[in-house]
Amino acid sequence: MAAHGATATQHKEPLSNGMLGFILFIASEVMFFGGLFAAYFIARADSPQWPPKDVLEQMKVAGTAAQSAELKLEVALPLIATCILVLSSFTVQWAVMQIQKGNRTGLIWGLFISIALGLTFLTMQMYDYSQLPFSSGDTVWATAFYTLTGFHGAHVAGGAIFMSVCLVRAMGGQFSAEHHEAVEAASFYWHFVDVVWIALFTTLYIVG
Amino acid sequence: MPKSGKHRFARRAVILFSVALLALSAIATASAELGQPGGITDEARDMHGLYLFTLALGAVVFVLVETALIFCLIRFRKKGDSLPTQIHGSNLVEFIWTGIPVIIVIALFSYSFIVLRDVEHKENPADLTVSVTGFQFQWQFTYCQNDLGKETNAPVKARDDKYQGPCAAAADELSIVGTAKDEPTVVIPLDEPVEFTLKSNDVIHSFYVRDFLYKLDVIPGRDNKFTVTAREVGTFTGQCAELCGLNHALMRFKIEVKSRPDFDSWMAEKMAAKKTAARVP
Amino acid sequence: MASIAIPKQGGYSRPAVLDWITTVDHKKLGILYLYTSLFFFAVGGVLALLVRTQLAVADNHFVDNHVYNQIFTMHASAMLFLFIIPIWAGFGNYLVPLQIGALDMAFPRINALSYWLFPPAGLIMFSGFLVNGGAAQAGWTAYSPLAKTLGTGMDLWIIAVAMLGVSSTIGAANFLVTMFRMRAPGMTMFRMPIFCWTMLVTSVLSLLATPVLASALVMIFIDRNFGGNFFDPNGGGNAVLWQNVFWFYSHPAVYIMILPGMGIVSEILPVFSRKPLFGYKAFIFATMGIGALGFSVWAHHMFTTGAVLKPWFGFMTGLIGVPTGVKMFNWLGTLWRGQITFEPPMLFALGFLSMFLIGGINGAFSAAVPVDFAIHDTYFVVAHIHYVLFGGSVFAVFGGLYYWFPKIWGRKLNERMGQLHFALMFIGFNLAFFPMHLLGLDGMPRRIATYNDYNNWQTLNMISTMGAFLIGVSMFPFIAAVVMAFLRPKDQPNDPWEANTLEWATTSPPPVHNFDEIPEIHSERPLFDLRHGTHSGH
Repeated sequence: MAAHGATATQHKEPLSNGMLGFILFIASEVMFFGGLFAAYFIARADSPQWPPKDVLEQMKVAGTAAQSAELKLEVALPLIATCILVLSSFTVQWAVMQIQKGNRTGLIWGLFISIALGLTFLTMQMYDYSQLPFSSGDTVWATAFYTLTGFHGAHVAGGAIFMSVCLVRAMGGQFSAEHHEAVEAASFYWHFVDVVWIALFTTLYIVG
Repeated sequence: MPKSGKHRFARRAVILFSVALLALSAIATASAELGQPGGITDEARDMHGLYLFTLALGAVVFVLVETALIFCLIRFRKKGDSLPTQIHGSNLVEFIWTGIPVIIVIALFSYSFIVLRDVEHKENPADLTVSVTGFQFQWQFTYCQNDLGKETNAPVKARDDKYQGPCAAAADELSIVGTAKDEPTVVIPLDEPVEFTLKSNDVIHSFYVRDFLYKLDVIPGRDNKFTVTAREVGTFTGQCAELCGLNHALMRFKIEVKSRPDFDSWMAEKMAAKKTAARVP
Repeated sequence: MASIAIPKQGGYSRPAVLDWITTVDHKKLGILYLYTSLFFFAVGGVLALLVRTQLAVADNHFVDNHVYNQIFTMHASAMLFLFIIPIWAGFGNYLVPLQIGALDMAFPRINALSYWLFPPAGLIMFSGFLVNGGAAQAGWTAYSPLAKTLGTGMDLWIIAVAMLGVSSTIGAANFLVTMFRMRAPGMTMFRMPIFCWTMLVTSVLSLLATPVLASALVMIFIDRNFGGNFFDPNGGGNAVLWQNVFWFYSHPAVYIMILPGMGIVSEILPVFSRKPLFGYKAFIFATMGIGALGFSVWAHHMFTTGAVLKPWFGFMTGLIGVPTGVKMFNWLGTLWRGQITFEPPMLFALGFLSMFLIGGINGAFSAAVPVDFAIHDTYFVVAHIHYVLFGGSVFAVFGGLYYWFPKIWGRKLNERMGQLHFALMFIGFNLAFFPMHLLGLDGMPRRIATYNDYNNWQTLNMISTMGAFLIGVSMFPFIAAVVMAFLRPKDQPNDPWEANTLEWATTSPPPVHNFDEIPEIHSERPLFDLRHGTHSGH
């Protein structure tokens, strides 16, 4: 039977089919953010000023932007949020290491802490949004800012849901040292989300 | 199906291919100037030369490959039940026929590069400038009296702050605005470089004159410009070449090339008409 | 819970409709893909005939500008997003697991998800005709800022294309894992059939390029609905940005639309020449080369914007001709000293060769940048794209349908009807599209709803319209052949064509589990080896 051959080759591979598929999926996500980043950098290269304060002034004159709008970012809060997200990458990796050793309690705690850190990050980002002195229409800079951080936030939320599913399954005792692929996939995804954020933070807040 | 039927069909297929090949080449060569009009500007004539070169290369490749194909179909159609020699390939042959297209590409690229450099030469500030504004769905052509491309330019007036056009002041300006019913005609002088500057305030348009063999997009937020030197008197057609919405098809205009004296008297006439129109309320 | 229904044992079968809706079998999903995309081919074809009717004579009032802009936009969108791209997914779904000796795709349920995103996306796109302001009308390229100014139909178009993008992206990941991991013993990568290889490269392109399109769609959606400024210069945005991001996807997408067709032709030519494909590996490397170069030529659609590095993109575009030329020579090498027969699949494959050649040559005119200044956005480009995607892809689609019909449905399509279909389509195609070269050179821009006869464009347009209707007529022998086939019993043997690849080792149609037994695989032509008892491989 063909099935024998097909499954026989599967077992030799270091990565399961599911993991390989998931990594390819993450590759496509990288390209998605690549497109958004490219847009940001093209807009940046094209503007004489960055952030384009001159354009904002023109928009104020034309009445398409609020008079109180200002193109500036506070670094302090996002910097703390960045640390929290980076920390959560470590905790989720710790969770994976625990289940590799067969420690289910460690897995549960690791996932729980990572989810909590992820949600803290999201809360801080939402608070930050509420304090920003510009809205999404105030020049391409603001549009790009909200698009990039917003889509990243949606991915954080997705990752948190993914980890929550793993957490529920872990509490149901579904993972063991041999079988914990979903946890590894969730951790891959979480690391990916983390790396995207570091790139975003560097681009938007530090390079500016 | 009987063998003879298959052979009959093979013949028919080959005939079909051959007829199609002949018809295509006949149509292409029969049409004037091998498909493309020769162009009326220096730049267009350069580009037409490149077009002819590309056409010649393409025709050679087309005839050789289609001949080889038809030859195979006739010569190697099934004649018996014996299995043909199973040739899997040959690195030497692959190497050679990778080389052939590489040479063609390099030749084509080199020639295009030279033509591109000649076509996109730097504009000279002394040239006559026509400011073109594309809008949904027509064109506005603006001349400034102090930028008519001759030594005796009108004196530059002080910039009028209330005026927002490309010239120094409203009095300097001659604007021709088209409507769908009334296609505008833009007039340029013969044998002189003329610079076109392109602007849009709504969506992307494309300024296309067939006999320039050239088009350049009219992009909001971007100042595009190009220079041509017309060598033929006459009236030619142009129209928007980038889909810009509902009445894209109606963004037509005419371009008229006049000798310098004719151009000057046309301009004087237009300016006089403008003054008269301004006086009559 | 007390109310859990216990499935009836034996004698119970689900209704056929439910079976098709819930199936995760790659063959059934493949067939669904084929049916759905052929349906949209018919719809797109009718729209094309409306376009040609409007353009048949100068100053025509058959439809007004508003309607015209919708029908040509939806013609292109349907043909590209709802026909060509998904029909390759249909062929791929049906054939890839069979050709590599697998039970199914790697992720059957994700496969079902890929398919079930497709019909709703089509309906959403076409529902634009029902909303105020009409369907999308910015062309399939949806250039901004124009796309920002249009009505709700544009949003529906964006949503539909985004759904199709998700469908292709996860489909691509599925194909890749299937080919990397599910091959039968002995089926090494370099023994995979060429069609699989072209699907592999296509999948890589889909996986990496489609998300970039998704990002572009997100941006235009934000610009339209949330006051964004990505493409609006008044807010500091860049009107050319859309074109950069869009073509970064859409140029590779052109290869997504043609490579599997090349794969199909490369399956058909060897079978009906009784020879192996000349230069199997060279062909694979050429396919990879086209895929890789495909990412570095997007700006050749933008030479007239004045905003791109013209010599670089002109040169890279020319380079695409090299691997494409290698393929053309390999196909000729395959015919050379063969024993050629002219069954319908072969006719369409030969039609592909001769027409795609023109599609390659007239592409060179765009690579020569100064020539592109004249022909860009004229009917010359319309001729080019149709010689590639109709003369290329559509001929390959029909070649593939005639070739695999016995395998998929267990019946052969009538040869006479096939010959008539081919002859009419070949003549109609050239009548419809060859004059467009001349119209374009003569200055007729594309996407214009009407023209005046100042430049004598009417005669060529009339010829083109007659050709388009001849293509329409050519579909009747095809339909007749299908109907005649379905009136007959399933009588096809495993391998009616004396073919080479693994799908012909199983019954026609194959059982649910695909193979009762897989022959030993020593080369890329396991069935040839089986017939002739030789190892012909590398």
